[in-house]
Amino acid sequence: MLTPMTKLQIVGRKGELEHALEELHVLGVAELIEATDERLERHEYDSEHRDELRFLVAEADAVLALLPAGEEPPGTPVSAAVDTVPGAVDTDVLRRQLDELGPALEALTARRESLRDELVVLPRYLEPLQRLLPLIPELADLDDAELDTLRLDTIALVLNTDDDRLVETLRSELAATIGSRFELVSTHVDGGAIGCVVVFPHSVSRDVHRLMGSEHVRQVALPDAFARLSLRGSVLAMEHRLEEVSEDLAATERELIAVVEPHAEQLRNLRAGMAAELDQIHAVELVGATKRTFVTDCWVPTRDVDELRAALLERLGPALVVDEIEMSRHNPETPVLLHNPGWARPFEFFVRFLDIPRAGSIDPTILTALFLPLFFGVMVGDLGYGIILFVAAIAARRRFAERSPFLASFAWVMLLGSAWAIVFGVLFGEVFGDLGKRLFGDWAVWMYRPGADSLEPLLLFAIAIGAAHVVLGVVLGLREAVRFREHRVMLDKLGTLLVLGGLFAIAGLVADRLPAGVMTPAVAAIIVGIVLVTSLHGALGLVMGPLELIGTLGNVLSYLRLAAVGLASAYLAIVANELGSAGPIWMGILIATFFHTLNLALAAFSPMIQALRLHYVEFFSKFVIGGGRPFRPFGQRPEDPTAKSMP
Amino acid sequence: MEAGLIAIGAGLAVGLAALATGMAQARIGAAAMGVIAEKPELTGRAILMVAIPETLVILGFAVAAMTIVLL
Repeated sequence: MLTPMTKLQIVGRKGELEHALEELHVLGVAELIEATDERLERHEYDSEHRDELRFLVAEADAVLALLPAGEEPPGTPVSAAVDTVPGAVDTDVLRRQLDELGPALEALTARRESLRDELVVLPRYLEPLQRLLPLIPELADLDDAELDTLRLDTIALVLNTDDDRLVETLRSELAATIGSRFELVSTHVDGGAIGCVVVFPHSVSRDVHRLMGSEHVRQVALPDAFARLSLRGSVLAMEHRLEEVSEDLAATERELIAVVEPHAEQLRNLRAGMAAELDQIHAVELVGATKRTFVTDCWVPTRDVDELRAALLERLGPALVVDEIEMSRHNPETPVLLHNPGWARPFEFFVRFLDIPRAGSIDPTILTALFLPLFFGVMVGDLGYGIILFVAAIAARRRFAERSPFLASFAWVMLLGSAWAIVFGVLFGEVFGDLGKRLFGDWAVWMYRPGADSLEPLLLFAIAIGAAHVVLGVVLGLREAVRFREHRVMLDKLGTLLVLGGLFAIAGLVADRLPAGVMTPAVAAIIVGIVLVTSLHGALGLVMGPLELIGTLGNVLSYLRLAAVGLASAYLAIVANELGSAGPIWMGILIATFFHTLNLALAAFSPMIQALRLHYVEFFSKFVIGGGRPFRPFGQRPEDPTAKSMP
Repeated sequence: MEAGLIAIGAGLAVGLAALATGMAQARIGAAAMGVIAEKPELTGRAILMVAIPETLVILGFAVAAMTIVLL
């Protein structure tokens, strides 16, 4: 449901503006909007102070972000400190604290970044060398001094290609330049590259390097610490260094936390105070003023108006006036606040995900909460899968109840869906596909879904659900058109309903479910409906009208996916059982478990996507009027009651 | 023989429709990713657009099912 909103105008003495804003910030139920009366003056706030506040808030966030995840997020407000008037928070305290922490944090973060870089860079040298060592065992133990004694030089290269022809080209170029006085070994390394080592006499070193230069072959020099060692010595030293770097990195991160943690609470308080002050500054700029009074307009949920009025009058005395401004319920400027029963609230996310309904229109959350789990259950329709998903959803809800409201909401949606999957599992007689049938015979309460005779009733069931859902959507759309006085839409919906009703009546007649006398009114309804829809589109009506009606019929047929996805899941489960029963029992259990796990993962994902699609494309398109503006109350806390309570 | 031909016909009905759906979704999906990169708030509508051609394969399924049930 959409919470009814009231537009208020608050007028008070100019000197009390800051206290009024502070009280509104404490209450957190009013969205301030710009006062529209052109005769009112505007406040211009000191932009330098505002910029300083923004800078300090960003700095505090950056410092608090150094704490590990799971700590309170940066900027978590502390209720005692957030409702301040502008200028109440001492920016010097925060600046001093940041200055005090700055040098230590800068040194530690620079060290941390350098260690992280080393952790990334060293393996890039290490891996090709490790691969090349076995190819040149004699040379691997010689350091630069020993190679000098032997009058030999080496070059290590990494070619960023896995094409061996490039190595052959390099070999032939070297042969053409220095004859046979070289040894080239190569090996493939991870990431589609080739590592090479070239060994050649010192006397031709200049020719080799000139060749490399002319062919644009770039050598990567080893870091200085490993440059003069033997290849094997370099590898050992790098491996040792990698271990050291990991330990150093962990120690540096511990040190960073140790530096920030003692200051974290105070930083959060100061940061919250400044964020609140920024809020207040923004609010002051929205307020209009005369010589002696301030005037502010705001939107408030109607249920909170009395409480807000009483709180303001108690704080600021009878000199304050709070007036309600008459507005149309359908005014598109009205902010939208969804408010639904606890069991349906997790579904608000799915509605918001598409669009926010416009003020005064229908909130489809409760309908989504009723139908989405039902569609999910029809598609999964398996007692075994349903029970597993149900238990997993309960576990996920417990696990994420505190930590992630979003995941807890999703687990609730899955819980309701899996409950319907259990119900339809009993109706369809499915436990892990045909395993239940193999063990207990045909125990389906309604019909065994994958059975040969079940296809026709299953398709009819899916179309019946589609017809009911689409007709409900069109009826709601008709209701919206009547409320918004949109006559063309009203006639369009009416025409669509007449055509659908006529077609369903003829289908009932063909199936011998309705008497023959229905034919004439059914045909009449179809003709009237087509004429209505066609006439609304003017000159293009002859094309657009029938196309629109065919689209609506396509919407109904689209619900066949309830049968299609369900059957695919059931057949995959049967295949898992067939494969499982083919070999020895231990192998059968392994194979069946693997395929059922795969099917379960698909069952948890695909039906949810399909059910959502049916809502977004087929259902919502018939009646939801989007384009709503979300309600953003001044001084809203993260633990806003609209997001907090869960079933 | 006849059952085999019916099965091939049903398979073609679903398979070709799925191919067409895939081609349409590939184009819409690429455009949708571009939209989401520019305006993440339109993610919901982008997914809706990607989902629209799926009706093709469902209609293919309907034809396949009717082929099996009625023939």
